[in-house]
Amino acid sequence: MSVTLHVNGRRTTVACEPADMLLDVLRAEGLTSVRETCRIGVCGACTVLLDGEPVSGCLTMAGQVEGREITTVEGLGGTDPVQRAFVDAHAFQCGWCTPGFVLTARRLLEERAGGPPLTDAEIAEALGGNLCRCGSYVKIVEAVRRAAGTDGRGRA
Amino acid sequence: VSALGVDGRVTGAQRYSVEIERPGMLHAAFVRSPHPHARVVRVDAAALPEGCVALTPGDVADLGLYGCQARDQRVLADVARHAGDVVAAVAAPTRAEARAAADAIEVEYEELPAVFDAVEAVAPGAPLLHPDTAASAQEEVSIGVRPLPGTNVCHRFRLVSGDVDAGFAEADVVVEEAFRTPSAAHVPMEPHAALAEWEDGRLTVWAGTQTPFNTRADLAGLFGLDPEHVRIVAPPMGGSFGAKTFVRTEALAAALARKAARPVKVVLDRAEEFVTLNRHPATIRVRLGARRDGTLVAKEVDCWVDTGAYADCGPGVATKLGYAGVGPYRIPNVRVDALAVYTNLPPNGAYRGYGAMQSVWASERAMDVLAERLGMSPLELRRRNLLRDGDRFATGEVMHDVRFAECLQAAADSVSYEADPRGKGLCVLLKGMQTPSRAEIAVERTPVGYVVRCASCEMGQGVRRSIRLMAAGLLGCEPGQVEVPDPDTDSSPFDTRTTSSRSTHMMGRALAVAVEDLRRNGGDRGVGEIRNEGGLDPDTGQGIASTHWHQGAAAAHVSVDEETGRLTVKHLHGVAYAGRVVDRPGAELQNEGSLIMGLGTALFEAIDAGDGQVANANLSDYNVPALGDLPARFTHELIEREGAEVHGLGETVLPPVPAAIGNALHSLGIRLHELPMTPERVLAAVDAREGRR
Repeated sequence: MSVTLHVNGRRTTVACEPADMLLDVLRAEGLTSVRETCRIGVCGACTVLLDGEPVSGCLTMAGQVEGREITTVEGLGGTDPVQRAFVDAHAFQCGWCTPGFVLTARRLLEERAGGPPLTDAEIAEALGGNLCRCGSYVKIVEAVRRAAGTDGRGRA
Repeated sequence: VSALGVDGRVTGAQRYSVEIERPGMLHAAFVRSPHPHARVVRVDAAALPEGCVALTPGDVADLGLYGCQARDQRVLADVARHAGDVVAAVAAPTRAEARAAADAIEVEYEELPAVFDAVEAVAPGAPLLHPDTAASAQEEVSIGVRPLPGTNVCHRFRLVSGDVDAGFAEADVVVEEAFRTPSAAHVPMEPHAALAEWEDGRLTVWAGTQTPFNTRADLAGLFGLDPEHVRIVAPPMGGSFGAKTFVRTEALAAALARKAARPVKVVLDRAEEFVTLNRHPATIRVRLGARRDGTLVAKEVDCWVDTGAYADCGPGVATKLGYAGVGPYRIPNVRVDALAVYTNLPPNGAYRGYGAMQSVWASERAMDVLAERLGMSPLELRRRNLLRDGDRFATGEVMHDVRFAECLQAAADSVSYEADPRGKGLCVLLKGMQTPSRAEIAVERTPVGYVVRCASCEMGQGVRRSIRLMAAGLLGCEPGQVEVPDPDTDSSPFDTRTTSSRSTHMMGRALAVAVEDLRRNGGDRGVGEIRNEGGLDPDTGQGIASTHWHQGAAAAHVSVDEETGRLTVKHLHGVAYAGRVVDRPGAELQNEGSLIMGLGTALFEAIDAGDGQVANANLSDYNVPALGDLPARFTHELIEREGAEVHGLGETVLPPVPAAIGNALHSLGIRLHELPMTPERVLAAVDAREGRR
């Protein structure tokens, strides 16, 4: 079978098997920011945004994404305020989990745009599905706060 | 940093060893023993699919034994010594095909009796894992192993200082307690990955590793090559914490590539990680004697350190665990006996702290038991006995730049311990750095700046940034003008390894020498070397354990729901003596990461392999700390001193976390001896307290 992917604003058609997972298909396309760690949807290292919502690439079948918009950090170009905030806050060590955190944080900030400031509990809840074994959490929360503060109303 | 100046870790541009590719490469999969102990009778690859290559015992018959400290491991196990031991391997065009091909290989086993506990494994009549005593590796900086022939003990470390019997005779109070710690998984987010390629009799391996030169030496010995004919390239790792040390999958990749005459890449899956290298479980008995005024007079520490199926660096871990168990105290009479013991569990090796956590848990918990018996504050008992500048440690070495009292006081103050110690616990520790060791570095001038070549491996600890910052400071240029390429044994000068929080300290000093050399010679290249000499006599524990001490402390404030056993850490504080900080955000990240890993160790991390099978080999059943697991108050500090040298701090505040929390529970009469401190164990200890009342 083949599936047409809309990734980072580009459209490509890739050959794949019905059982192929989005994680493997995206990696084969060179999008190596989508990373395999747990393979059971608990670590968040293969997080992508699917129509703006964070999903685990290891639990999403490639066939399910036909016609839907996929975003990975490669599509943010390094200029996104959330990416900048992660750099400014030194919110990573090995960097393996960082793309997943950036995308999850981006969705959180979009959802809250214009709303009241995020509490630490809300940030912890939203990022609870992303693991960082290096333990950079304190600075990750700081990065999210910084990104939220860019317009003072929680919008990145 | 990319050309645009954006860190590749946020853009996805960072490449790890899992992403290395070579033209024509094949992918590996392993055939693993389902039995914890079994002789391999027959390996049948007749059903191997076309286009695949199988590695069976006949293919490795010319290869000897390898192992970083004791040579006791074959590329393919002829006797499987743990469930998951690799007995055959395949290479195929894709990972999926390789897995299918591995399933097509039939293996016949003859099961053998097995043992899963280090104390049982040293009892007479226990099944023997390695009937032939393994020889010392005899590598640069390998330690002289002291196996006990005819037993499962692959190394015995002893330390004797003073006369313990006389010491205990002087004691007014003696406590004796036994403590246990389980095995744990490193869980680097990136799994082990290696790619091996042969060309004209020369072997190149790209691998996520902390030990490129050790790996080179071991592979050269195994394949009968000059070390110069083996090249190890070490891309950045997606975490390691000790997991990616010494030969892990590299020998299998190299043997498969030799057979296939093609490059072969290995990437482990998550379940395989749990049978590749874990943390040493330990059973530790502490006997501690003091005078009524709290002066320590004698200490005995007996350690059973479970190194699993192969020694790996277990002898070194048992040594460091052994002397760390003395603690940062002046004790005139000390005896330590630490056994590194084979069992039929997956191999255990280096794990952030290198044995210190296990013995600090035992030693520092025993201090609070003693304080209670003396009717003295645990803080006061510690203060009274802490090592100070110029004191001799139990190894005979004189301590310098000693900051234990400052670390302990800072920890106590963080939780207002002296105002009200209830629900609060303290821990102070001493941890050594790899000694002896050697670090070399080269600085090369280029038209736009400098290239700094060294074998310090980046695993997220930030060593490349530290080196860039130190080099920029010494050379008077911008950090962006300093390039630090990936370690490559062909072009990076020798370094012992990237372990024991030694890189910023050792490489930083070597760098200063190299920059001075560049200035003096006026050319385009300067080189620097630093050696730290020392080491301990394994039979007496006398000598130089460490030329540079990691000093730290932790404090915890807890509450307990005594109906459910639920333990809440309300405040956790870590203190590391940093000397001089090179990279402040990096140092903070190392402190925070160590504390968080310590929290997982304290509260919930344990490999469940009581019957030899790892039952929780996935990240749903084996939990690591998430953001929501952080205490409501989570703080730390770096103690600095004007004019001090750089002190390593990559591990310092992990080992004290479990004991700080355990001592906080102790202050509530809840006495734990075993990790992790699960609600079940807390509840049982609450019940035991009620029974004592």
